[in-house]
Amino acid sequence: MEAIAARPAVSCCRSAVAAGTGPRRLLLNTTSAGARQKSSSARTRRALNIPPHQSFLGFNSGSDGATRPTSDEIIFNPPSSAPSVFHTPFKFLPPSDPRRRANLASELFASSTHNPSSTSPLSSASASEATPSPEDLPLAGGVPPLKPRHHLTKEDIEEMRRLRAEDPVKNSVLNLSRQFQCSKLFVLMCCQAPKEHREKIKSELEQVKARWGPRRRAAREERHRRFAMLFNGEL
Amino acid sequence: MKRLRLDRWTGQLLVARPGPCSAATPRAALRSAAMCRCTTVRNQSTAAVPQIPQEDDYYDGTDHTRFSPLEKLPPRATSLPSPPPERALQSAKLAALHARLSLPEKVPLQTLARALVDASADENPQFNNTNLAFVGHTLINYHVGEWLMCRYPRLPMEVLYAAIKGYAGPTALHHVARSWGVEHAAAPGGEVDPGLLQFSMHKPGEAITVFGYKRAEYEGLKKHHWRHGISSRVVFDNDFGEIVHTEEEEEQMRARADTEYGNEYTRTLAEAAYATCARAVVGAIYAHTGREAAKAFIKAHILSRTLDLSRLFSFKKPTRELSLLCAREDFEPPVARLLSETGRMSRTPVFVVGIFSGKDKLGEAAAASLEHARAKAAMNALKSWYLYSPGEHVRVPSDMLAEDARPWEPAYIDIGEIIGR
Repeated sequence: MEAIAARPAVSCCRSAVAAGTGPRRLLLNTTSAGARQKSSSARTRRALNIPPHQSFLGFNSGSDGATRPTSDEIIFNPPSSAPSVFHTPFKFLPPSDPRRRANLASELFASSTHNPSSTSPLSSASASEATPSPEDLPLAGGVPPLKPRHHLTKEDIEEMRRLRAEDPVKNSVLNLSRQFQCSKLFVLMCCQAPKEHREKIKSELEQVKARWGPRRRAAREERHRRFAMLFNGEL
Repeated sequence: MKRLRLDRWTGQLLVARPGPCSAATPRAALRSAAMCRCTTVRNQSTAAVPQIPQEDDYYDGTDHTRFSPLEKLPPRATSLPSPPPERALQSAKLAALHARLSLPEKVPLQTLARALVDASADENPQFNNTNLAFVGHTLINYHVGEWLMCRYPRLPMEVLYAAIKGYAGPTALHHVARSWGVEHAAAPGGEVDPGLLQFSMHKPGEAITVFGYKRAEYEGLKKHHWRHGISSRVVFDNDFGEIVHTEEEEEQMRARADTEYGNEYTRTLAEAAYATCARAVVGAIYAHTGREAAKAFIKAHILSRTLDLSRLFSFKKPTRELSLLCAREDFEPPVARLLSETGRMSRTPVFVVGIFSGKDKLGEAAAASLEHARAKAAMNALKSWYLYSPGEHVRVPSDMLAEDARPWEPAYIDIGEIIGR
């Protein structure tokens, strides 16, 4: 019989962090209170002498308590690592791919099949707490773009262009995007400022850049170069 | 070690072996070469050697009392540009190479010797490896191309070109030929061991072994760096998507004679000669034993090499490309979310960012800043899109040429790239 425990260490860590059951909390309290320091080698050794992980136990709990796995058991407990790009996400599989059919049930009924299969109420609760839905996770790098509403007509865009050409200082991109309730990118796509205004902005920027010292300039160049390296896959 | 069974070999030179002036034995080879030593016409087959009356021995100016020859050479051997084919049977290096590559017995030593003579060493196309290399080049590129197309059907054209070059380009084939134990002679000539690769640094070799058109706008491309898109590269350029520039090559050929020993350019020449040799060996196998053996040889020696395709990618705006992909495929727009982080206020923070489309995670990456992590996660998501593979043992169209092939199931073909480059 083959028994494969897929990444149990992750769920264990999650339960340790999220659940915080009785004995664990007690242990944490004693250590944080600093009642017993690891001042001697014996105490250090005793503190580091922790039992093996659950995934290494329990497969073959014989009468003598031997925890050695038999030959037909596979312990799959890989260290945490970056996911491989050669593992195609489910969403990227084409409809004709057999993996799509094989994974469809587990993808569709993931929530319904997960809870009955879990053995103890503690682990199910911890798993549901530890694997939050993607919506609960904080955003990284700004707000996601809004869905385009397509509410502007051709007349609106003509009006926007007229305003921008009339007074590019007063009718800035930000003001126009507020006025027409669209994104700044859309304003930039629609209209272009007069040439003298663009040149004025450009010369102002040049003046600002001229005031930069060597450190700021080098830092910006380095940041730029680092991004280029990242895009080439060198970082 | 496998015993070479000379009696079971085929080949042009061995057909006429029972005849009186054939070159089946070394002694006969010497005799026949001695007979044709004063002719200007070289014959590829010793069976067709014309009967010439014996004359005095040719003297090439070497003081043989001081420098005694290592082996007994045919008299006019030193005046020939490459070793005569009948000397192939004497070469231990050549027999060793034949055995080491486990070549079929049908591939004769003479053909293998010819595969080792570059066009720069011997200009006569009946004695150099140009023709064999052309066949080999075509076969290698076909098999590598079809395998990559079926194995990774979503690769962008630029990455596909880079991958083909990584498998079948001159550098890769140079390494393949080196790994076979092919060594090169210091200078080509009729007296060198036929088991050594022979190419010249000083003479131009007129070897046309690549496809491609000369671009009319080549001057502008070189001078003004005009944009040339991937579509024109498919049509005009060679098998690796590189511009065919014949004039520059000719110039380099002319400058060949003046280059000093051991610079970057001479290394390029050596690399090209080794690559041509590897292609010529494939061409020889195809010519003597046919399609299946050549395919098996290419699979064993070229396709079995490891190339990390995920390192061939380079992006300009990965987040934008990913959102375009999601819009094209009707996925929810991608959103970057922070999976975990450590040491935000420290000198060495780590952010793990995942890109989600709806509830599905498309990619994940860790980096030292949020922007880097986000861009890297988008790049990983795009790579996992582009590097989709139907399976490890995917069938290729040339599998259908076998006699008892199963019916063909259509291979997966992607609709195309996300953004034009």
